[in-house]
Amino acid sequence: MAMIRNKPRHRLIAFTLIIPFVAIFALVFAYPVIEVVRMSFTDAPLIGGGNWVGLDNYKRLFSDNLFYTSMKNNGYFVLLTVLPTTIIALVISLAVNRLSGRMQALALVMFFTPYVLPVSVVTQIWAWMLDFQFGILQPVIEAVTGKPVPVFKNPYWVMPSVAVVTIWWTNGFNVLLFIAGLRNIPEDLYEAARLDGATRRQLFFKVTWPLLWPVTALVLTLQLILQLKIFDQIYLLSDGGPFNSSYVLLLMVYREAFQLNHGGYAAAISLVLFLLIVVISVLQFQLLRMGGRDK
Amino acid sequence: MKFRRFAQISILAACAGLGAPAMAQQQTITWWDFFAGGDGVRMKALIKEFNDEHPDIQINATTLEWGVPFYTKVRTSAAVGRGPDLMTYHLSRMPLGLSEGILTPITQQDLDTAGLAQSDFFESALEAGKSPDGTLYALPFDIHSIVLYYNKSYLEGSRFLDDQGALTGIESLADFEEVMQTAADNGAQVPLTYATGDDGGAYRVFYTLLAQQGGTLISDDGEILPGDSTEKAIKAIEIMTRWHEEGWQPEQALYEASVALFTSGKSAFQLNGVWEVPTMKDLEADGNLGFEWSAVEVPKLMDTQTTWADSHGWAIPVQGQTEMDPEKRAAVMTVIGWMEKHSIQWAEAGHIPAYKPVAESDAFKQMQPNATYSSLADRATYDPRSELAGVASPVYDAALNIVSPAMHGYLSPEDAVEQIKMELQSRMR
Repeated sequence: MAMIRNKPRHRLIAFTLIIPFVAIFALVFAYPVIEVVRMSFTDAPLIGGGNWVGLDNYKRLFSDNLFYTSMKNNGYFVLLTVLPTTIIALVISLAVNRLSGRMQALALVMFFTPYVLPVSVVTQIWAWMLDFQFGILQPVIEAVTGKPVPVFKNPYWVMPSVAVVTIWWTNGFNVLLFIAGLRNIPEDLYEAARLDGATRRQLFFKVTWPLLWPVTALVLTLQLILQLKIFDQIYLLSDGGPFNSSYVLLLMVYREAFQLNHGGYAAAISLVLFLLIVVISVLQFQLLRMGGRDK
Repeated sequence: MKFRRFAQISILAACAGLGAPAMAQQQTITWWDFFAGGDGVRMKALIKEFNDEHPDIQINATTLEWGVPFYTKVRTSAAVGRGPDLMTYHLSRMPLGLSEGILTPITQQDLDTAGLAQSDFFESALEAGKSPDGTLYALPFDIHSIVLYYNKSYLEGSRFLDDQGALTGIESLADFEEVMQTAADNGAQVPLTYATGDDGGAYRVFYTLLAQQGGTLISDDGEILPGDSTEKAIKAIEIMTRWHEEGWQPEQALYEASVALFTSGKSAFQLNGVWEVPTMKDLEADGNLGFEWSAVEVPKLMDTQTTWADSHGWAIPVQGQTEMDPEKRAAVMTVIGWMEKHSIQWAEAGHIPAYKPVAESDAFKQMQPNATYSSLADRATYDPRSELAGVASPVYDAALNIVSPAMHGYLSPEDAVEQIKMELQSRMR
């Protein structure tokens, strides 16, 4: 029975099933993307049309020092967050995984709570804790460096500080992914390995690590995409300063579009950022998969 | 069927609801402003009074966030016809507003409706509301500037207070630095406070020091710090750096903290906008101040006496593709005219009225400390006429991004000025 099909009808059903998705996708993703591409070749303001200017926006972009500064800062921020947050999440999840029952649930809640907070609350909390005059963390900084440091106003401290805030905020989600990964590893593998006399070290490197690799690759890739899109924390904590040492690409897009009304130029920057993210993340995911295959 | 009947009825009801005010000939004016502090309280009182006096015109006011959020919202909403009917506007922001094409010209007929004439306004403020070809796009409401607030308790017995207890004897940078040292010796924790870690504070002091040397930040043809203005800008940053090194000004003070230093009596002087006058008055009235204060025009520290200034003005945005109904426009102009004539109440918020009949009235001449510093109106230096300047502009960003770190010792004044020039020049279109 099931093999007898009315082909056109079948196709129609398939079509009606995907049409809502295609329609919404076209409306809120495909159309805006095409518009951004078109806009990046014009001198359009934020609202309304503009004149076709060809590659002018791109020529200007590639001779704009701020663009290179921003790209450098984006890269620096990725370095400061992606690997550290992955390692920290892995360590935390391994520790949490050893707990059981209510204690495990409690520990998970504690690590996950910051992730639930909106970014403005997170930055407000940290801005106060690190406040130059009244921050409760200033005595700690003073104990290490000998004097209080206005962390978001100091060119050397600003990016690492934003990175710490970001890791604190987003780490809970990665812990959750790792926990899920760890639970997927069958217990019998550990049992068999233990019977063969594997040490704890060997258990981790020969069983846990290779089987967790797909999750690790996923976390690394998700983090990379997320951290390349850094904007909120910078906008709320340092505004790109001091002297552009925390200026990032999305802040540049925001300033050009919303402050200076240069829609076309902002579109060009965001398109370049979009391509950068696509290329880097595809590249990274492929590399990680190759790395995984060797294991 | 039932649903259709219900829908028909609700549509009818909605139409009737929309039609009702028109039948009563009442105009509702959507008003947007950005006054959230002590001045906001005074503005709301003015609006209430207007609404009470005018049964046929009702102002429906919304206060939005000052700065980039306000101007972004105005630009996008006006372009699609969902903006306000009347809004407050910083005249320093006119060049950008004009380039966005969201402002409508204020015609002679409009002025007649409001009962105003161009000659009623201070020249410099009125000019700031015009486009380069002389078309009027915004009417000034006030002139506001930074002034020098002082706490008399730190100056007693020194040569800087006269027998009436008014500040005197500051005629040069050397005098000013001497008085700061005097205040420090008399126990002022931070002799001079201003928002050293914020864009506005750093910019206004920097621009005032530059203007007092006759320097130009952006020339009319778009050059950043032309000619010897570069040297003058370096000099201005050197002075601010020196004040930091001597411990005369607070380190990385944000706006609120900088005000608190003065109101709590830890500072002898404050360089801040006239809009903090109501804060001081309210504290004094409640008996929570604990010292005697006043405010004067920023003294002559460099070559000439002048101060950064800006104006709040009135502007009528475009309504998308459509024209505003003439009756509504007349109602809007009535509001503007009424507000100008009642701007003495706005002066309570520290501002100097831009409308001369009020600024020259006896009531204003008796208002203190406004009357003392109102002399600055004639000598003020407005922001450069450039799309890069004005409230929440790249120039303000540069102050936070470059001037503030430089005076805290992270950049030399020369490098800072070099960066300002590069940064602003690259934003130029």
